Amino acid sequence: MIRFIIPLIAVILFFLEPVFSLFSPISIADVSYTLVPRFVIVYLIFITAYYGRKRAILYGIVLGLLYDMYHIDIIGVYTFLYPVICYFAALIIRQIHRHIITVMLLSLAMVALLELLSFFFASLIALTSIGFEEFIVLRLMPTMGANSIFVGMFGYLFKRLIDEVGLQKAGI
Amino acid sequence: MPRFFSNKRLILLLVGVIVLVALISFSLKDRQNATLPEQIVKDVVGFGQSIFSKPAHYITGTLDKIDGILNTYEENKHLKARLKEYAATQAELADVKADNKNLREIVDKKDSLRDYEPIQATVISRNPDQWEEKIIIDRGEVEGVQLNMAVITASGLIGKVVLVTPFKSTVELLSTENRDFRVAAVIPGEESIFGLIEGYDSTRGELIMKRIDSNFEVKEGQKVESSGLGGIFPKGLLIGEVTEVSTDDFGLTKLAYIRPAAEFSMLDHVMVVKRSSRVTSGTDGKVAGEEEEGEDGS
Repeated sequence: MIRFIIPLIAVILFFLEPVFSLFSPISIADVSYTLVPRFVIVYLIFITAYYGRKRAILYGIVLGLLYDMYHIDIIGVYTFLYPVICYFAALIIRQIHRHIITVMLLSLAMVALLELLSFFFASLIALTSIGFEEFIVLRLMPTMGANSIFVGMFGYLFKRLIDEVGLQKAGI
Repeated sequence: MPRFFSNKRLILLLVGVIVLVALISFSLKDRQNATLPEQIVKDVVGFGQSIFSKPAHYITGTLDKIDGILNTYEENKHLKARLKEYAATQAELADVKADNKNLREIVDKKDSLRDYEPIQATVISRNPDQWEEKIIIDRGEVEGVQLNMAVITASGLIGKVVLVTPFKSTVELLSTENRDFRVAAVIPGEESIFGLIEGYDSTRGELIMKRIDSNFEVKEGQKVESSGLGGIFPKGLLIGEVTEVSTDDFGLTKLAYIRPAAEFSMLDHVMVVKRSSRVTSGTDGKVAGEEEEGEDGS
């Protein structure tokens, strides 16, 4: 049973993202800030760090494909970005100590990278016309803020859970 | 220095990129219709999504109610002041409606551009990477939703249906940056002023109404409605209020900024509007199932 808990949480986070994005954009003093929930990629980075790169990339491809088909209607954007980000994270994690704080910071850095890449893609196919500075202030910074709250709240929980599953697997 | 990619991985990556570029260009070409696998994924994922969205709406609804109770005193004071005025307008409206009905019977005209059947729907998700302003609702083709139909909330027009699957449909909001999103609009008054809602100013948070004849005088504070002349939307859906008037880039026509009547964040219950009178392809978009040749909008 416990084997299924890791993909189950990934699916739950996948479904929670669009629910949280209903709250966005938030306007403060007539300026609307866009908050983008990036729960899935954060979780995938944790899987990369504590469970295995291959598994993370596999989940990345599947969830990315679903994300593209359900939300974006352009197949191939997140199907590509999710696994690539996981691959980069795996390259970096090899060089550093797997402490919970470093993994948290790494996952936030990867959220920023994902946002940046998706911004370049959106500008490329003219989905958006906002400039780079606007993107940083109105989108990237609020997004990072919101996601760091998420990472702070659930990061430790993810680590504990994934460790537990890893131990069980080793025991069998 | 560790090697970044081995040869095998490099080839794999390149092949992957080529496949993805092909996929992206394939799916960018025709985004109005979903292929069968896409429809299945949308309906299945949408079903799972609604399991998560319904409790979330319940929670936000409860919070809204608490907020409402806290404001009761202030609102009550405000409403009492408006009540007398309201009763007078109500009486007048009933009178005018009855009059209108009688006159219609005299000229034997049954169809009205204003008539529509609403299809109630719940918003189940918003596109999480918010590059496009899209929401997904839990009503689809089976319930009678069709491509390009107008979507409203109690306070006004919010967007139109851009993709339909059997049980779910995708709605693009008015606050989109999509240049192809047009709504035929009118400023009602002694003489109706026609124009097109075309574009959204994201820094101002306001819609832009273009192609208004420069002979007409548009005043700030005037209400803007859908005109029903775009082919698919019914007449009289409130869009917003004029906040500023200026001339367009070439100085030939006027341009007005419009503050939308509806809120685009925190959407939960919406209505898809099915016009009772005949629909045709026009500025509102193409009617589902109609051939390309029927298109006359530009």
